[in-house]
Amino acid sequence: MAQVFEVSVFFIVFRETLEAAIIISVLLAFLKQGIGKSMDDPAIYKRLVKHVWIGSAIGFFICLAIGGAFIGTWYSLGRDIWGSSEDIWEGAFSIVATVIISVMGLAMLRLNKLKEKWRVKIAEAMEQRNHAGKGMFGRFSRKYAMALLPFITVLREGVEAIVFVGGVSLTAPAKAFPLPVVCGLLAGCTVGYLMYKGGDFVKIQYFLIIATCFLYLVGAGLFSKAVWYFQDNNWVKFVGSDVSEEGSGAGSYDVRQSVWHVNCCNGETDGGWMIFNALFGWVNSATYGSVIGYNCYWIVVMITVSLMLFKEKKGYFPFLKSWTEKQEAKKIAKRRAKMERLQAEQQAEMSFEPKTVESADSV
Amino acid sequence: MRFAPFIAGAFTAASAVLAKTVQYDWTLSWVNANPDELYDRSVVGVNGAWPLPAIQGKVGDRVIVNITNNLGQPTSIHFHGLYQNGTNEMDGPVMVTQCPVPDGSNFIYNFTLDQVGSYWYHSHWKAQYVNGLRGPLLIYDDDEPFKDEYDEDIYLTMSDWYHDEANWLVKNEFLTLKNPTGAEPIPDAGLLNDTQNLQWVVKPDTTYKIRIINIGGFVSQYIWFEGHDFEIVEVDGIYVENQKASMLYVTVAQRYTILLKTKSSTSENFPFMVSFDLNMLDNLPDTLNYNTTGWITYDTEGDFPDAAIIDEFDFYDDFYLVPVDKEETWEADTTVTATVVMDNLGDGANYAFFNNITYVAPKVPTLLSVLSAPENDSVNAYIYGSNTNAHVFEYGEVVEIVINNGDTGTHPFHLHGHAFQVIERSNASDSDDDFIVYDASNPGIRNEYPMRRDTLYLRPNGYFVIRFKADNPGVWFFHCHIEWHLEQGLAMVLVEAPLQIRERITIPDDHWEACKVGGYSYEGNAAANTQNYFDLTGEKVQPNALPAGFTARGIVALVFSCVSAFLGMGFLTWYGLSELKTTQHEVAQIMGEIPLDDESGESK
Repeated sequence: MAQVFEVSVFFIVFRETLEAAIIISVLLAFLKQGIGKSMDDPAIYKRLVKHVWIGSAIGFFICLAIGGAFIGTWYSLGRDIWGSSEDIWEGAFSIVATVIISVMGLAMLRLNKLKEKWRVKIAEAMEQRNHAGKGMFGRFSRKYAMALLPFITVLREGVEAIVFVGGVSLTAPAKAFPLPVVCGLLAGCTVGYLMYKGGDFVKIQYFLIIATCFLYLVGAGLFSKAVWYFQDNNWVKFVGSDVSEEGSGAGSYDVRQSVWHVNCCNGETDGGWMIFNALFGWVNSATYGSVIGYNCYWIVVMITVSLMLFKEKKGYFPFLKSWTEKQEAKKIAKRRAKMERLQAEQQAEMSFEPKTVESADSV
Repeated sequence: MRFAPFIAGAFTAASAVLAKTVQYDWTLSWVNANPDELYDRSVVGVNGAWPLPAIQGKVGDRVIVNITNNLGQPTSIHFHGLYQNGTNEMDGPVMVTQCPVPDGSNFIYNFTLDQVGSYWYHSHWKAQYVNGLRGPLLIYDDDEPFKDEYDEDIYLTMSDWYHDEANWLVKNEFLTLKNPTGAEPIPDAGLLNDTQNLQWVVKPDTTYKIRIINIGGFVSQYIWFEGHDFEIVEVDGIYVENQKASMLYVTVAQRYTILLKTKSSTSENFPFMVSFDLNMLDNLPDTLNYNTTGWITYDTEGDFPDAAIIDEFDFYDDFYLVPVDKEETWEADTTVTATVVMDNLGDGANYAFFNNITYVAPKVPTLLSVLSAPENDSVNAYIYGSNTNAHVFEYGEVVEIVINNGDTGTHPFHLHGHAFQVIERSNASDSDDDFIVYDASNPGIRNEYPMRRDTLYLRPNGYFVIRFKADNPGVWFFHCHIEWHLEQGLAMVLVEAPLQIRERITIPDDHWEACKVGGYSYEGNAAANTQNYFDLTGEKVQPNALPAGFTARGIVALVFSCVSAFLGMGFLTWYGLSELKTTQHEVAQIMGEIPLDDESGESK
């Protein structure tokens, strides 16, 4: 099954799609709520909605094109160059994959908050456009703001997805891509739609938590396997060419490093065990390295989460109290300054222009 | 092309009727040699020379071999094929009939030649003989059945040849976890009479009696003489009815004596070849020349043509030879059945087993256990060790040994102290996964008068059945003669007539000395226990088996990993849920519903 469904690809595509979907759903929600006086004129509302979709679609297709070209080029370069150092490559790529997944995973838990953050950002952007960019570009971007924002967003998320997918699945066969990509897109769109519907973000948060747990299981498995690959490479070099003949039996593993070994259930070759391998990093012949690696990964995750929780509660990382306070103070000062500036400009406008001309720009 | 004279056994037919005593005083030391002209290496020399001299005598002569060991390592010598009836202590295998001869010591082998034919001698300490300690042993018989059929009596040895020291190969390349398939070391060359490009100068119209001896350590070889057929007259010391043949398959340790008549014309020289059985090699390096050529030289000034390539090896199957004495088939009184198995043990190395036991040498040479044990205990195989594949037989009974091959390799098995009757030998099976197992109720092909010899090969996945009469009291080793397999433990110990051994066998002083000087126990059971022969505590045993499945360590590791995963996911859930509260708090701040906190960061 792992030969046609690369699990990590699914999660990455899902996450990126989700982020893009959130932004689009926020935009659509704003439109619904009356930005641009859409409540006044259904025709304008429809036009702006169309803008959002067109912008997204163009971004999406460009992504597909870039993605296809990137992956296609990579695979046509041929992967047979790995040959006898295959284990080292597998190990290195697994490490890359696990790093990507681990970093991304924590971000996933903050997706919900993103929605609110985006609401604020978009609101600010709307307000700013009202007063900046007087040139041609400015006019263009103002007119098609509703198309530009989703376009840029989708493009950015899409390229991110391509890069991450490329990094995570360098070892998978090309036919393991289409299915998880499609599934990830579908899943991301579905959840985005649910969020648009004003879904209870508590329920969505539970869903995101479960998804993140899975992601980290995969990440832990990848890390454990990376260590295993490096140790296996050492073993193969030590014995020479005979190892491949041994299948899962004696001689296929180093007895000195072995923590457990069963002559069946090989995660690389035996049916259902391959799923276990993909999801949990199961190997039929575990070494000290792979077991300790697995446990270390989880310990690091737990420490990281604890640190982040600490920061949330206290506002700073342990031992970094005064540094953090300075950074935050700077941010708050900047924010205050911006808000004061905006208010001053509004005041100035109101005194010069008794009535507003364009409808689409005011908050 | 080198010109190397063909060494002929120099012995006149007209010698004294009375038996003589021939004494060889040999000092064993390392010398350099380069027989294949590819690599100069250290080999075991006798009195500073290599190759080693032939031991020769007539039937009835006494031979004394007095060795001084200057090799810096232990040694011993076995006289392959000699029955040593009444002189079991002179047989040679270490920890079976003697302690090893320590470095710097003297040791005397003293025995009589009570049989006829062609034999050889070699070291029987670890894989030492592959380092060159081997040579021919030729017995002359005035009453040969074919004594009027030949003009000259010569010998021809063949062997494989290694550039590396044999025991080093065993320790570092072969019997280690880095060789889990048990791939035997590949030889570097083949030799004929310990040299190459041999020119055997012959006279026309002359019949030569050629004693062919394979003194190698591993590979069986085919031998044929272009343009010349021959007659087989003797195998492993058993005269057989003349059998015409054109090619032989000679395993290590086997001997064939043939009569070859040269042509009348001296115009041409004819190549003769020995060629490795390549099925025995796990891989075939490009650098290996597995054919060794010699020439039947009629004209020393003439051409020496290359040997022709042949399509197939059409050799004579020795199973069908008929001994001249036409001994009737023995009926078996007792049967030992064993299956050859190659498998890995807990140290990762590949070992060879009879059934599930791989031979591990006991702490006391088995013969000395027989002599030191209480009489009633000596007939019980248990005292000879649980890891020695020891069997005890009564005097006079006919022993049948059935070996089933659980391996796809060809194994030449040798029995010390006897030439056995070959009752049956199956073909190899058709596929690696099928085994042909001996079924006594469904016998295969048998001869009316069974062939006899002392070294017989077992075909891949097949079986053989042999019988002999236990009329030679002694402790006799039965083992595969591939040195690598012997080191892997493919051996059993046959304690034949222990009560008679105690009556007839005495150990000379220098043999006891060898034990004492070497620090070996010389009394007691396999665990050197002299008080209770049935207490084998402390005996040497084989390494533990590989754990099949989860051990305690594995279960702990798996459980611990699962616990970590669950804990980790717990932390993630905690984090995810806590996000809810802070998110709601921050959203409220942003929307202006509650005042900004100065200290908490709002952008993440």
